[in-house]
Amino acid sequence: MGRIHVLSENVANKIAAGEVVERPASVVKELLENSLDAGARRIRINVEGGGRKLIQIIDDGCGMSRDDALLAFERHATSKIRTAEDLLNVGTLGFRGEALPSIASVSRLRLETHATEEASGSVVEIAGGKIVRVEEAGLPFGTSIAVRDLFFNIPARRKFLKAESTELSHIASVVTNYALAHPEMHFELHSAVNAIIVAPPVASHSERIYQIVGKETLDALLPIAAQIALDRTGLPQPPPWSRKYEDEEEEDTGPTDPGELRLHGFVSKPEVQKLNRNSIFVFVNGRLVRDRLVQHAITEAYRNIIPPTVFPVVLLFLEMPTAEVDVNVHPSKTEVRFRQQSFLHNFVRDSIRAALMKARPIPQFVAEMRANPTASPSLTPGAKMKSDERAETTVVDELGVTQANQEFALHAQSIPAFTQSLGFQDGFSVEANAAIPVARFGPQTFGSHVAEDNCSTPIPEELAPDDTPVLATLKPLGQVRDSFILAVNHEGLWIIDQHVAHERVLFERVLRQRQTEKVEAQRLLMPLVIELTPSQQAAYIEISDELVRNGFEVEPFGTRTIAIKTAPAALESTQIEHLVHELLEEFDREEQLLNMEMIGVRIAASIACHAAIKVNTPLESSKMEWLLKELAKTQSPMSCPHGRPVVLRYSLKDIQKAFKRI
Amino acid sequence: MEITVSKFDLLKELTATQGVVERKTTIPILSHFLFEAADDKLSITATDLDLGLRTSCPAKVKKEGACTIPARKLYDYVKLLPDGDISIKALENHWVNIRSGRSNTKMVGMARSNFPALPVFPTAGVIKIPAAVLRTMIAKTIFAISSEESRYTLNGALMVLKPESITMVATDGHRLAHIEKAHEAFPDVSDMRTLVPKKAMAELNTLLNSTEADVVEFAKDESTLFFRIGGRVLTSRQLTGQFPNFEAVLPRDNNKFVTVRCEDISSAIQRVAQFADERSGAIKLKLDKGGITVSSSSAETGESEDQIEATYAADPVVIGFNSQYLLDFLKAATGGEVRFEFKDAQSAGQLRPEGNGDAEFKYRYIVMPMRI
Repeated sequence: MGRIHVLSENVANKIAAGEVVERPASVVKELLENSLDAGARRIRINVEGGGRKLIQIIDDGCGMSRDDALLAFERHATSKIRTAEDLLNVGTLGFRGEALPSIASVSRLRLETHATEEASGSVVEIAGGKIVRVEEAGLPFGTSIAVRDLFFNIPARRKFLKAESTELSHIASVVTNYALAHPEMHFELHSAVNAIIVAPPVASHSERIYQIVGKETLDALLPIAAQIALDRTGLPQPPPWSRKYEDEEEEDTGPTDPGELRLHGFVSKPEVQKLNRNSIFVFVNGRLVRDRLVQHAITEAYRNIIPPTVFPVVLLFLEMPTAEVDVNVHPSKTEVRFRQQSFLHNFVRDSIRAALMKARPIPQFVAEMRANPTASPSLTPGAKMKSDERAETTVVDELGVTQANQEFALHAQSIPAFTQSLGFQDGFSVEANAAIPVARFGPQTFGSHVAEDNCSTPIPEELAPDDTPVLATLKPLGQVRDSFILAVNHEGLWIIDQHVAHERVLFERVLRQRQTEKVEAQRLLMPLVIELTPSQQAAYIEISDELVRNGFEVEPFGTRTIAIKTAPAALESTQIEHLVHELLEEFDREEQLLNMEMIGVRIAASIACHAAIKVNTPLESSKMEWLLKELAKTQSPMSCPHGRPVVLRYSLKDIQKAFKRI
Repeated sequence: MEITVSKFDLLKELTATQGVVERKTTIPILSHFLFEAADDKLSITATDLDLGLRTSCPAKVKKEGACTIPARKLYDYVKLLPDGDISIKALENHWVNIRSGRSNTKMVGMARSNFPALPVFPTAGVIKIPAAVLRTMIAKTIFAISSEESRYTLNGALMVLKPESITMVATDGHRLAHIEKAHEAFPDVSDMRTLVPKKAMAELNTLLNSTEADVVEFAKDESTLFFRIGGRVLTSRQLTGQFPNFEAVLPRDNNKFVTVRCEDISSAIQRVAQFADERSGAIKLKLDKGGITVSSSSAETGESEDQIEATYAADPVVIGFNSQYLLDFLKAATGGEVRFEFKDAQSAGQLRPEGNGDAEFKYRYIVMPMRI
């Protein structure tokens, strides 16, 4: 008796279910995609018990005949493709023919369908993969699938399900995603108790966003649209192993028009900052994907506009000829492969960046500051309404604290005889507390940053008269903790982070000097010898030319060792080693997809950062005036090369409001 | 503890110790003086853990003992007292009573046991350095010490003692100040190298400026440097690490010389530097038959040029420098003539005072050019 045997179909289906049907939300996704592929205009989803008890999807699509309805539950039965060649040109969301049998094998399923050309509909009931009942019935056109008791026969999987509310939220996000992608359709999602999503068909994506996420978010989004002809000439040859594949395919398709790559959607303004990537939605040919390449392109586009650890809200629809993308990567089809990866990456990045620049997000940024003087980095569109409140409570809080301190001090003075050493501890602890906010700025991690646009894109004319004079009228009052400059003008009170302000000034100067090839460099008394790791060595070779253009003179010095002989003049000699290591590590980490200009910009940002005055540095008033004047002259004075804000403003109105004068 | 001390004596010593008392205190006891009374003497100690200063003044000791007193408060208070005797008496629970004439004050200190113990001046291996020599050497090198914390061996000056000479070197990686005094006698040492932290240098400088003592006693153990100046002992944590090999950077084949008056070149550079980049202070020195031309230009402010006549025979050369580096030296050189020695636009330039004054000191200043 052989040890190897073929699994029964039922077992095979359950295994496939493990890949495709992970949780109730994946059932919703598969069925929803079926409905969309069936050309439905109206889709209603009912969910009970977080999808465990019931998932019902009702559509008005093309429906199925009785034979088709039965065949659909066979493994690898599909209407969507026929031959292997079709796999290269998948135009539908599904194509594997696995979803229905998989779902049917782990639940009690009831299918009601009525094809438009048939006289009557049919009902199919399946429990745990076995057909229980098939009969004819009078039904409306379209298909309704009810999935009950999901995973009733797989206790292991059932145990792994999260709380009802969690599963429901996953389902809601799946439906939301598809609803956003298809504004022309009617979507409804109902739980047992309430309607979660009701979105009648609308004309445009922006209206759909309004329906689903509300005005707040829509206001913070910028529309984006771009297209480019897919032209393969001039692109680097794909590596040998995939080249062969391409040749074969070329023969099949012949010299057809390569088509074009279209992109549209919405990207958020810089003031919207999310702490994770969950608000980035990318659709490729109508399919929701989580693609690292596109994610990276988005991050690149926002680099130096928002801080490195936060993420924007992005809704991106990519459309390209189906031959350009391979969706047959993973059963759940959330991963895709693009044939022209770097081309697509750069297209996405540049389009988003162009949109951000065109919309001039910086004045908006100021507006955001106005609305929200506390400028929390985790600003979310939802939190915006509360920001005023929050600002006030903060003020009150701070007042409370100071009052407490004052009272404390009074106590200590009025009854000094009994406090003894306690008095010192108090003084000590107050000091320590007060030092915390400053300490937070100490160990800054200067991640990667690019400000290409700030330098290469000419700043729109309107910006200058609109923005610059405001900063130029500032009069410095003094410093908070030797770190933040307080300044006033007719608009109110301004707080300027001296380090980032100076950084911005230097950054633009370094870039200017580099463009005119007039970098000032200081020779070192003794060459600085730095040892590199192998990967740093590789990164060094990559960027060595750019280092030279930025005023470094570096020579190889034996294996994996370099000697720095000259460094940019603005740097203290003691910072050079740190800076070079930081640069190399950074390029080491993200070796891919960098062009020379970006390397130059990053080096400039690093130099500026290291050369800028630090926090905890007392400044004379003349120096503060100089800094503000210089800042006013910069092209984008509102955010530093790393994307952090430079200035905060308490408008007169805010101040009056806080004092309850208006 | 109970003592009586004259205000004049006390204030003098308190003033001398102010530089050592920790200002931005994180450890409360460091903002206190330690007062110890014994043998008709009041010893005052202050420390910030890096530096420590122990000094004393004559006092009438009624009862021996010790206490700690908040430093800043005491100093401000004593300054305001009328001349005369001050009596200081330790009470219970670390309270201290200070009386002078009709003034009567109580202050609260901390437990004496909290005060960190200072290292004790070693008895052996003491080297005597003339105070005037040390003072000059510090003044002429301290400005070149790096204030950045990261490369901490540059955070002090190197003092090299040889049987017949003393040398002090300071550098920040861009320039180096080197001063040597021969014809000294340090019989017991053979090439002793010590890194003196910048803070200790500065404190020594103040102490040397306010003393009549003409000799400084210097000693060190594994971790600490000791300087005794008159009745005061300064202790400093020693910087450990390798000071860069400075001999290798001293230029040997500079063959372009020009000598100018210190004031002339100094004021020319100051004028021209107004139009240099604020951060780098970059200026150009052009040497040709006419002498030295100092020039600068910046996109923001404009450009400027100054000429100084001088005899110069070698090939013309243009070299960029950080103006501040040159001015630092010219200020420390204190008048007379200065000789500039160059090779080319990439190599280190050397500056040294010429003629005028003590030829006993060999003072030279190496500064690296800028590429402008």
